[in-house]
Amino acid sequence: MVSGLLRPAGHLDLTSALAPYGGPWNERQAAHLLRRAGFGASPAMIRDAAALSMNDAVTTLLRMPPADQAGRPEIADVREAIVQARMQYGKNGSNDPVALKAAIQGLRRQEFRSILGMQLWWLNRMLNTPAPLQEKMTFLLSGHFTTAALQKGVTPEMVFNQNQLFRRYALGNLHDLTLAVSRDPAMLIYLDNARSAKQHPNENYARELMELFTLGIGNYSEEDVRQSARAFTGWSVDYRSGQFLYRRFIHDNGSKMFLGQTGNFDGTDIVRIIYDQPACARQWASTLLNSFVYNNPEPQLIDALAAELRRHRYELAPVMSTLLRSNVFHSSRAYRSLVKSPVEFVVGSYAALGLSTIDMRALGALRQMGQVLFYPPNVAGWPPGSNWVTSEMLIARENFLAGLVNSPLMRQSTWMGQIPMRADGATKMLVDELLGGDASALSYAQLSQYLDGASKAALGGLSPENYETRVRGGAYLTMAMPAYQLA
Amino acid sequence: MKRGNFLLGAVSGLAVVASTEHLFARALAQAPLPGLPGGENRVLVLINLQGGNDGLNCIVPHGDAAYYQVRPNLAIPRNDVLGLDAHVGMNPQMRSLKAMYDAGLVAVVQGVGYPKPNHSHFRSTEIWQTAAPDTYEHTGWLGRYLDDAQLPKGLFNGVSLSPVLPEVLVAERNDVPAIAQLAGYGLYSDRNAVTRTALTRLVHDGRMPFSSPYLSHIAEVESDAQRGSQELPALVRGYKTDASYPATPLGRSLALAAQMIGSANVGTRVIYIPHGSFDTHVSQKGTQDRLLGQFSDAMKAFYEDLAAHGNDKRVLTMTFSEFGRRIAQNASAGTDHGEASPLFLIGGGVKGGLYGNYPNLDINANMGNLAYTTDFRSVYATVLERWLGRPSEAILRGRYPTMGAISG
Repeated sequence: MVSGLLRPAGHLDLTSALAPYGGPWNERQAAHLLRRAGFGASPAMIRDAAALSMNDAVTTLLRMPPADQAGRPEIADVREAIVQARMQYGKNGSNDPVALKAAIQGLRRQEFRSILGMQLWWLNRMLNTPAPLQEKMTFLLSGHFTTAALQKGVTPEMVFNQNQLFRRYALGNLHDLTLAVSRDPAMLIYLDNARSAKQHPNENYARELMELFTLGIGNYSEEDVRQSARAFTGWSVDYRSGQFLYRRFIHDNGSKMFLGQTGNFDGTDIVRIIYDQPACARQWASTLLNSFVYNNPEPQLIDALAAELRRHRYELAPVMSTLLRSNVFHSSRAYRSLVKSPVEFVVGSYAALGLSTIDMRALGALRQMGQVLFYPPNVAGWPPGSNWVTSEMLIARENFLAGLVNSPLMRQSTWMGQIPMRADGATKMLVDELLGGDASALSYAQLSQYLDGASKAALGGLSPENYETRVRGGAYLTMAMPAYQLA
Repeated sequence: MKRGNFLLGAVSGLAVVASTEHLFARALAQAPLPGLPGGENRVLVLINLQGGNDGLNCIVPHGDAAYYQVRPNLAIPRNDVLGLDAHVGMNPQMRSLKAMYDAGLVAVVQGVGYPKPNHSHFRSTEIWQTAAPDTYEHTGWLGRYLDDAQLPKGLFNGVSLSPVLPEVLVAERNDVPAIAQLAGYGLYSDRNAVTRTALTRLVHDGRMPFSSPYLSHIAEVESDAQRGSQELPALVRGYKTDASYPATPLGRSLALAAQMIGSANVGTRVIYIPHGSFDTHVSQKGTQDRLLGQFSDAMKAFYEDLAAHGNDKRVLTMTFSEFGRRIAQNASAGTDHGEASPLFLIGGGVKGGLYGNYPNLDINANMGNLAYTTDFRSVYATVLERWLGRPSEAILRGRYPTMGAISG
């Protein structure tokens, strides 16, 4: 188990865990569904989902529009310009290393700005998409099949193409997705397979494919790593086109013995054999439960969902349909049992405040909170659970909120202007809309006192003069409560 | 981050902020470990020469002709090197540190690295910080030390003087604050007394209409963050110093470190400070010389400041860098990512001198890289056992021989 993952108290009723939920369906439950299957939602969207039946709300979420409807950010392609600069300033040109360095640095900055633009584009997509689950899965997959932008020659175009790959397979087949990832240029470069040749097989991708992407440590041997690395030799990238390229002259055509089977395997065979292993289904079941239901799920629950995955031949759509309609998903044990990742926290805050644009401040805030899109900290992805709970990360979260509620952007809010000018009514509205009512009686009282100015007698009650400041302060305080950190 | 109290929170169901205080009381009651020195009040300052410090132009093998052959433009002339012996000497910018070396306050450990070196900044930094070359650990070696050390409960037992908490200080049961500057450490909303009071009360919330395994932990860390950022400026306010630190980020960080070490009731044992970037692929000389000079001058001011307050004997400074660089220079008067490099142990407890083997500059021996001759975990074991007074095996996940560089 990854450290920092805590299972909720209470007991699992395994017999009914994956059976359809038939309990109460209200705004609180709808908000739970939208936090998990998306990035949170505005009060209006929560009400709309609550007005449907639970089944219809899930069915709506499972609809996946074609990936290319997501649009396209501006993507810098500087490869040709770098070739030009080398010709102009290089040894065969003016031989001016200073000018060459300056030109290349300028182009690299352009690439980096392009990645920033993509981050902003994606965050806005998460906020405004008609298919939140598609973006949520894309986000989870980007932290699972990790690749870091602009390292080792991964271009912005490759980063975007990989992002679209995840979007395309958001509810697709995991086996097919893994095969596609194994041929994905960004991945092949990031984990060094692009340069793996039969004379010197590079084991980086082969190892992580099993350790982190599919089977988990302990379900393969070091010899399996070596043998599968041989099978993946020649799976490379055409650096000019940025596309997958099979370099057959450096592929190892010899016989390999992998996970007990022998043959002249290539990468396709390796992925197939991996997906025949029961450990693979268990690993994915665990990942889905940890991401959508609660952390450190019981082994029996993992087995039950793994059986579903195998029954559906790793098709995500039917499995996610079962999971999002299940008793365990809608249970009080699952409710608020996950720590929001920074991206969920940031996008969810814009959504909850009724805003329709994510601005640049989100990028700086996410960097301080430790989660930069397209830059996972390492191949293992972002550490989950309580790893997000540190002093400076919480300070970064609260300071982001303080900046946001006091920004001019708040004028866009679809609902903040409707907050009543009475402290008790304003308190109820803030806690209902921002926290789903998840505050103690004590917190209601404290917040009401703040809005009323009662904490300092001289401040006086809520009035037209202090309304905007107090309401903004009240929104901040509501979101700064520990409960708001939980998804 | 700390996770020890979660288990209590998870079992109790509703969010009750579990206190770790009684756990500490129980731990303190345990007998001290036999055969290990005390470690009371001792401080470790860890400086990360980030980006990959070129060891050969830091501790210069001026007695090896091969050095001048493989680095025609980058080698430091023999006469400029601050000789430590007939083979090696310091970079000429490190005069202040050389004077400390001559006074017996500096140990240079040569050829430090680890098996199967990784050439990625990120992964290799992670390996040094987690002390785990073969696995992915979510805690750092000093985080594990803080968890293990049975220190009195405090908000500042470990502190990172950086914008983001480095992996080395990630712990299971201790939430280590990252403080870039004293002025910027804190909640914006604390600037307003009304919001500050309101938030303090809201964070200490009572019973919630739901249960969550994480809620009590979040409340506690948030409360720590709020309290810590309010308390620290007050705790260190009384500290006065005449030391003149260089006006560099490292100088400012070390000034704050001395202030925290020298102020009563802060209780800091471990401080992390990043310096650099030493990633000198291009035109190395200017950058590296400047950074080494800054390091050397800041160290001088730091130890003068510490000595003026009677703290110099209880503060050990250790450097590390994720890797050294290639033996030969590259085509752009720089050096590319390499493997082993030297590190410094400075100040309290140090038995000054040279440790480890001289570098082997044969570029054909190890694909152009310096092979390591001392495992960095041996240095960590030495610091843990001989300076901090803790057994190292559990923290380092293995037994590593200690060195004589620290007398304890």
